[in-house]
Amino acid sequence: MRDVKKIAIPEYDAVEKAKRHTFALITAAREAIMPLTFTIHYPTERKLMPKNFRGFILFESERCINCWQCAFICPANAIRMKKAPDNRYYPTIDYAKCIFCHFCVDSCPRGALKPTKIHDVAYKDMEEMLTLTDKMIEKPEVHREDERFVDYVLGEDDATLKRERGKDDFFVEVPTPPEVRFVSRCVQPESCLGCRICEGVCESGAISSVVEDGVRKMRIDEEKCTGCGLCVKECAMQILTLVRVR
Amino acid sequence: MATARDASGASASASVAEAVSEWRVRLPEKPFKDLKYFGNLKAKVIDAGICSRCLTCAAVCPAPEGITAVDGVVFENWEEKCLDCGACVRVCPRFEYEPKSGLGEYLEILAARSKRFSGQDGAMVTEILASAIEMGIIDRAIFVGRDEAWRTTNFHLREIEQLSLKTLRGTKYCYSTALSELREAVLRSKGVGVIGTPCMVSGVKKLREEFPLFREKVKISVGLFCTENFHWEELHAFLKEKGVSFEKLVKTDITKGQFIATMTDGEVTFPVSELEEIIPSGCRVCTDFAAVDADVSVGSVGSAPGFSTVVVRSALVKEIIDYIRRNKYADFGNVMLKVVNKMVKLKKKREANIKK
Amino acid sequence: MEGISILSIVQANQANIPLLEGLRGLPGIGQILPFILWKPLLALLLVPGFLGLTLVILLMVWIERKLTARIQWRVGPREVFKYLGGLIQPLADGMRYFFQEAIVHKDAHRPYFLQFPILAFIPVLLPLLFISAGELVAIRTDFGVQIAVALISLIPIVILGFGWASNSRLAFIGTVREAFMYFAYEIPFIICVLAMLILYGTGDTYEIQRHAGAILNPVAAFAFAIAMVMATSRLPFEIPEADQELAFGPMVEYSGIVFGLVMTLAYEKAYVMAALMTDLFFMGGAGPEIPMLGDLSGAIWFFIKVLIIIVVVFSLRAIYPRYRIDQALRIGWTFSLALSLLALAISLCLVAFGIAPSVTAAEVVAP
Repeated sequence: MRDVKKIAIPEYDAVEKAKRHTFALITAAREAIMPLTFTIHYPTERKLMPKNFRGFILFESERCINCWQCAFICPANAIRMKKAPDNRYYPTIDYAKCIFCHFCVDSCPRGALKPTKIHDVAYKDMEEMLTLTDKMIEKPEVHREDERFVDYVLGEDDATLKRERGKDDFFVEVPTPPEVRFVSRCVQPESCLGCRICEGVCESGAISSVVEDGVRKMRIDEEKCTGCGLCVKECAMQILTLVRVR
Repeated sequence: MATARDASGASASASVAEAVSEWRVRLPEKPFKDLKYFGNLKAKVIDAGICSRCLTCAAVCPAPEGITAVDGVVFENWEEKCLDCGACVRVCPRFEYEPKSGLGEYLEILAARSKRFSGQDGAMVTEILASAIEMGIIDRAIFVGRDEAWRTTNFHLREIEQLSLKTLRGTKYCYSTALSELREAVLRSKGVGVIGTPCMVSGVKKLREEFPLFREKVKISVGLFCTENFHWEELHAFLKEKGVSFEKLVKTDITKGQFIATMTDGEVTFPVSELEEIIPSGCRVCTDFAAVDADVSVGSVGSAPGFSTVVVRSALVKEIIDYIRRNKYADFGNVMLKVVNKMVKLKKKREANIKK
Repeated sequence: MEGISILSIVQANQANIPLLEGLRGLPGIGQILPFILWKPLLALLLVPGFLGLTLVILLMVWIERKLTARIQWRVGPREVFKYLGGLIQPLADGMRYFFQEAIVHKDAHRPYFLQFPILAFIPVLLPLLFISAGELVAIRTDFGVQIAVALISLIPIVILGFGWASNSRLAFIGTVREAFMYFAYEIPFIICVLAMLILYGTGDTYEIQRHAGAILNPVAAFAFAIAMVMATSRLPFEIPEADQELAFGPMVEYSGIVFGLVMTLAYEKAYVMAALMTDLFFMGGAGPEIPMLGDLSGAIWFFIKVLIIIVVVFSLRAIYPRYRIDQALRIGWTFSLALSLLALAISLCLVAFGIAPSVTAAEVVAP
């Protein structure tokens, strides 16, 4: 226990004590007359949120490539992929579980999931909290009571409060991330069983197999591969991986 | 469908730079051309009565809920569900059956008794795998445990402290399903140890030959000296009739021609020859007593009571035995090779049962 | 006998309020008016009596919360009557207590549990009879201050009664702490008052309020203030209650209207002690005369001074953390005791030098 330091109460003499008491009383008097009130009178005022605030998540279905990365990476298991009529899978977010970490937004390779500044969402019952995809596409209806937003501006020694008039827009424009192409490749072909589960799950038809001369030839067409990673996930021997191509 | 894996368990050991977009998979010959591969396996091995229930096929079958063992090896609805990949046929030791026999090649034979653990005889299986975990050679060993009715269960041992579980020690004279969990074990660990009967270790040898994934990751296969195994339902019913109460059962042992079931309040003994009628068909065609395909074979035959005979076959296991010697984890004794050879010759006689 | 009837007794001791003179002519009210204006009754009804007490309790809670919030950069209660900034919040809270169920738990000593809060009013309200607000005083006696101090000293006993009757662990801890604190502040308090009595020579508050005690003996004022903070369990000496640790100490098991009674006890005690302090040190009802009100103007100035004292004492809550019980006891028995003894010494010196009102008054009286 050598590293334990004993913290002693500082001992002051009478003069020091009197000085400190007076200082405390003077500070109190000063604050009583001219306070710096930090309270934000929600809902008539709102705090100004930064642009990358992690709020309610919106979805743009045209950009989605069905890679399921959002569902895999969600630490709270809040995203479930549901099959749409066009046979593609789209994310649905269960806000009872969502912790607003925005890992899904960060991991989406095409930027299909988008952040907003909306943080106060209310539901009438638990079932409503499972937000279906179409609810995520359209912008939610926001009932606004605020007339202004409040921003804390940091001075040299302590924070000051600035109250500005004007409404803050909740919906932020997020630029499309640059396209990085990934394709699937086999890293240990000798361990391949030839089960063709990868061929079965591939949605773009990039994986094909043909039996010739007593061998099964497997082929991944890199032009067609969208880098969604489904085959990587489903491979029984886990010998596929995503490789970045320029 | 397979569950999501994390990076540490990823099996791809070749570097990404060597990844390929085209590759070939060997397809074995189908004796029955109009059946899928499992149908071929079923016809040639299972229905022919030579399936030893080693479950090596289950280790590779990629189909979800594919090959399982329920009163024999089955694949429910295989006509539709089998993916026709041919992996099961490639690894089944009985598909192109070449019966193994003899004492096999070995680096040394010794008798030893573990000082740290207690088991069926000298607890050397436990000692070898525990030492392997300590040395860092493996980080997972598939042990065989049991439930209250003495059905076998699989226990994935990760730390030596888990060996305090008593059900892991001792021989259970019925089929183990360890190999059906081998692929998951291999995908989640860097080194795996597995214990099995001679048919199972033959299966492991074939797995290593066919797939580099198993060759790299299954570091130790421990074979047990084996005359025959039993289906649990049949053995359970037989022993119950003999008056064995399974709740009180502590140890089962076959030694000097006697089957001894030790319970907390008594013992039931009868000659092993009485079990002749319930020996499964797959065991009747097996000629391998000393598990010649294993990395190390362990058994009670050939050493004093309380000691196990250890036949060291691979250099890796020799290192483990040296480690055990250095740390004085076991006592060593004399091996009576004559007895072992006698049992080897006895089992070789089963060649006669194999239909040509 | 002639002249001795209730009316004559009442007529002998009338408060002079010019504003109400006009009502004398009216038929019904004119008969009752002498009774109402009878000084003891008026003092009891208005200031320092029930009206003052009620106003203090209502206002004080609100002022304390708002002021503390302001110092702490917060806002305090706001929503109940938005335009006045939540002014009737205490009233809303009080009404809430009426509707809440008053639970008497199984382990409590039931009769004492329910009776003590009511009994508590005796030592709290009786001192008000002896304190004068300007011209309004209920009972004039030479021993007024002493009786008031004696009654104030009884209040902690009732608080101990709460804690004992509650029969619960937290209440026990709070009660024991209250007993400790009682020892800490009572002696300095009594010595302070003793010092002032020596200075004034009489215990009649009507006479005392003519002299500015704070100027004569500021040390006594300071020691009295510290004893007042300790006595009313205000931060930094909020030891028996200790919200974050003991969840209200001796009063933890009370709920409903009984809790309302118990909670206001602290404010009433503060009112009584502040009233005593105003009379002893700050010249009671003195202040610029408001013409129409006559005697009432003194009362109003008294009330304002009491309010200011209470506000200042309660606002210490926003500034100081809580002392530990051993630190508080140490302060009580060293610093506070030393101060009050110093005050006593100063009083004695003033008497010796002939400046003290007790001496000068005696000189005036003696021929």
